[in-house]
Amino acid sequence: MQFNQSNRKGMNRAALSMSSMIDVTFLLLIYFIVSTVLSKPEDQLTPALKVDQGAVVEESLLEPQIILVQQYNEQPVYKIGSQIFTKREQLAEVLLKLPKDPGVIIKAGDNVTVGFAIAAIQESNNAGFEKVTYVPASN
Amino acid sequence: MAFGRTKSRMVIPIVEMTPMIDIIFLLIIFFMVAAQFAQQARVDMNLPKEMGGQEKHLQENTFIINILQDGSIVVDSTKGAISLETLEALLEEKIAKGELSWHTLLIRADEQGKTELLNQVLVLLNRFNFSATKIATETH
Repeated sequence: MQFNQSNRKGMNRAALSMSSMIDVTFLLLIYFIVSTVLSKPEDQLTPALKVDQGAVVEESLLEPQIILVQQYNEQPVYKIGSQIFTKREQLAEVLLKLPKDPGVIIKAGDNVTVGFAIAAIQESNNAGFEKVTYVPASN
Repeated sequence: MAFGRTKSRMVIPIVEMTPMIDIIFLLIIFFMVAAQFAQQARVDMNLPKEMGGQEKHLQENTFIINILQDGSIVVDSTKGAISLETLEALLEEKIAKGELSWHTLLIRADEQGKTELLNQVLVLLNRFNFSATKIATETH
């Protein structure tokens, strides 16, 4: 008597049709490749927040160094006391020399760009100030 | 002799594919839905190119305020721009429910936009007694 091989061994081979699954998998893969928008790497700056409420707040904020971020002669500048800086590198240089313990307050006016104001926070962080406070200030 | 019997006992393992396919599809659906939610909260914009605070132990952001260059505020990109008053109401609701603190709120502001709106949002947050804020930057 002639038995075929599988019967003789008592085996049942499951025949899986993989082609449809592979089709679907590749379609999904293509979908994700096409629809994916690579997100840019992000980080965060975490300044303390205070609101300028006039003389009372000003008095209590005397100790820390105050950086004014505002428009001056139609260009954005950083002001520390009477010193005016147009570039962040100049600000960074000065911040490095200042005592760090009292902290720093950044008062940003309404007419400068966000990037210019955020640069002041970043430079304060880089200079080693632990207490960095952002104060929204109207011009 | 028992040689024949040994041969017939050979068992070929059958891999059950059905639960694996189920799990794969569930994972695909999960990632599709999760990606959709992530996309809703973050609007494509040019963030300030700064290295940030490099802090590793910050809490996850559950509420993101996007401030675009044109002066609009977006919290959910599917709902479009909202006014400062609407934002105030949203914040009030979330804070009342105890779902929001400064640790879980992120501000994403376009670097070319004016600080006017950012300042207004920060004044609003200060009114809700937020002692600090998180501002997103784009690392190089």
